[in-house]
Amino acid sequence: MVELFRMEDVTFAHNPSLPPVLNGFNLSIEEGSRTAILGANGAGKTTLFYTLTGVYKPQQGQVLFKGSPVEYTKEGLRNLRSDVAVVLQNPDEQIFCSLVEEDVAFGPLNLGVDRDEVEERVTKALRDVRMSEYARRPLQQLSGGQRKRVAIAGALAMHPKILIMDEPTAGLDPQASMEVMEMAERLRLSGVTVMISTHDIDIVYKWASISDVLNSGRIEFSGNSEEFYSDPERVYRCGLLTPTVFNMNLDVSFINGIDPSPYPRNCCEFTAKFSGASRSGTIHCIPAGEEDALAKYEAAIADCRDVDVGVYGSNSRYALRDSRVNFRFDAMDACFTDAVRGRDSVLIYDSVFEPLIKEQAARLKEFGFDTSLEGCR
Amino acid sequence: MSDILLQTEDVTYAYSRKGPKVLDHMSISIGKGVKTAILGSNGAGKSTLFSVLNALYKPESGVVRYKGEPLSYRHKGKIKMRSEVSILFQNPNDMVFKPYVEQDVAYGPENMKLPKDEVEARVSEALFAVGMERYRKSPIMKLSYGQRKRITLAGVLAMKPSVLIMDEPTAGLDPQMAYEVMEIAEQLHKTGVTVIMSSHDTDLTYAWADEIRVLNSAKCVYSGLPEPFYSDYSLVQKSGLLTPSVFKMNAAMADLGKCSLEPYPRTQTQMSVKIANKGRDFGTLYVIKTDKETDAGTVIENEGLKGLHTGLYGMSARIARNSFGFDADFLYNGPENCTMKCLSGTDSVLICDPLMLDKAVSSANFINDNGYGKIDIKVI
Repeated sequence: MVELFRMEDVTFAHNPSLPPVLNGFNLSIEEGSRTAILGANGAGKTTLFYTLTGVYKPQQGQVLFKGSPVEYTKEGLRNLRSDVAVVLQNPDEQIFCSLVEEDVAFGPLNLGVDRDEVEERVTKALRDVRMSEYARRPLQQLSGGQRKRVAIAGALAMHPKILIMDEPTAGLDPQASMEVMEMAERLRLSGVTVMISTHDIDIVYKWASISDVLNSGRIEFSGNSEEFYSDPERVYRCGLLTPTVFNMNLDVSFINGIDPSPYPRNCCEFTAKFSGASRSGTIHCIPAGEEDALAKYEAAIADCRDVDVGVYGSNSRYALRDSRVNFRFDAMDACFTDAVRGRDSVLIYDSVFEPLIKEQAARLKEFGFDTSLEGCR
Repeated sequence: MSDILLQTEDVTYAYSRKGPKVLDHMSISIGKGVKTAILGSNGAGKSTLFSVLNALYKPESGVVRYKGEPLSYRHKGKIKMRSEVSILFQNPNDMVFKPYVEQDVAYGPENMKLPKDEVEARVSEALFAVGMERYRKSPIMKLSYGQRKRITLAGVLAMKPSVLIMDEPTAGLDPQMAYEVMEIAEQLHKTGVTVIMSSHDTDLTYAWADEIRVLNSAKCVYSGLPEPFYSDYSLVQKSGLLTPSVFKMNAAMADLGKCSLEPYPRTQTQMSVKIANKGRDFGTLYVIKTDKETDAGTVIENEGLKGLHTGLYGMSARIARNSFGFDADFLYNGPENCTMKCLSGTDSVLICDPLMLDKAVSSANFINDNGYGKIDIKVI
């Protein structure tokens, strides 16, 4: 694995008279990883992000990007920031222009991307966050959640190699939160490294492979999420709580006298573990390119009138925006839960997400459940 | 059915004459003392509805009634209405009026022309309630987002409103703080305040609310108990929402014959126990009724309960802990944490405000009343 970021013994204080926000901080972020940054309010998460992007220069220690120390010169910082996009917690802190489309174009234009290309990226990014119809509107007239989506579109349009999102789902409605996590996965599958800090333990537990937990300016834990959550006292000390699914698994496993491992992380895995279901419903998988999604969908739907239909990915969702769809936002988990329930379903997804389907089927196998997939190679 | 406290009748509101209607002939009513969650996607009109409910905005057409009377939009009427119906806005930075914490919390009560000692007492009480008394003299600019959020909550508490509207009260808060806010909301409910809450955290509101109202594109599309709404998946989907995870799992498990669909579990312990094997021994839940003057530490010692996991729940229990300094393991979400301990076969102790008793044992009762097992509840 290639190490993208490395922080060695970093100390940073906003002011010499104040206690350091980062205190002897060590961190390593590998290329292509899903990393969750967790910690209570005030643990130093946001400061960490500013330090990674060179906005703050540590008083001690060093930050390495792709193996070499960050240079705090105009040139050095521009290099760093052309690769790293940040979505801040409060969207109002990163609004640069008055109109939505101008604001989304701001980043790529600054990177010197030519105008036609920028226009294309802006259109795509606004569509991905479902804000196309607001392109010509002033940002001031948008709600908090809508402004957040515009900020995310701005980061997407930069085509970053690393995407850092600070509380990306705070203030977003549940469907928009699912879309943000889906976008994070899309980027990761296309080679982008994604770091997310969030207080939504349940969302991030489903998503992250690695958790880095901050407590009072230090890394308290780094590694597999279950290992961290299995020590409730430490979780508590860090200002966090254990995820709902994690707790329920512990409760039921204990009462039933079975091993808590493997740990279910979502509804389909939990249901598979505790229902004893063995007969799988079939998931008809339709990987959809941008043009032919609708045709494939029509063909599939003609065969199976009364099954649930799920879409995953913004292209498929957009193509089927006016069609009959049962699961528009949590389709991956919902279709697999259907399979566990013995129900057939149709899952139409942007082809980039194919690895996720295989990953989910492989995880269900750990729970002793064989998913019947059709059309997924 | 309880009395209607606050209602809109056919209310329409737009921010500008040419602009789209943010509330479109909306009729909605809130029962006195009913914990009501207002749900809807970004831009559905939730925040606007709140501002209409406390006379901040005057509707273009339609009537807003409080205790049956139409609102008055004269200066005096508006001031009175705002001390009766307070809003905790989503973004704390929209609500900071003064540079220092104590001045800011005092701002509301001072505007109500209360005597100085009363203002002083309310400020202390409110700052304690949100756990920020140490920051009394701090400049607000120096506080973090989560801390500011607590200060604005204190400011609203200090006004002692009859109705408290909380707009996304847990957004941006870490999980422990979020539970603290939910506990404050429960406490207010128990002291007779009607609490209305909007939140995107579906699991949180599902565990909390008696009733829900769902807004979509400037209209109210559902009003009533949460379960019928969440059972209609296409309506949920159209409204920009998702089903709570506990609801979803219960449905899947019921479908596979592992449990019956009803009673619907609202919390994780309730869900767990529905599907777990029966016949296992659970621990005893000791609940120590603790008013401000009770040294729960001594009670624990006298009852021979030392060494058990202890949780804390409710204002008077927190005040008592502050004066007597006894230990507690679960400072947040005490009832669920203690119930979870019981499920794992060990006894636990909940140090509890007497007002909050029924909420404290609600998950244990759910288990006992439905025959999912037996948690002995001993109230001391």
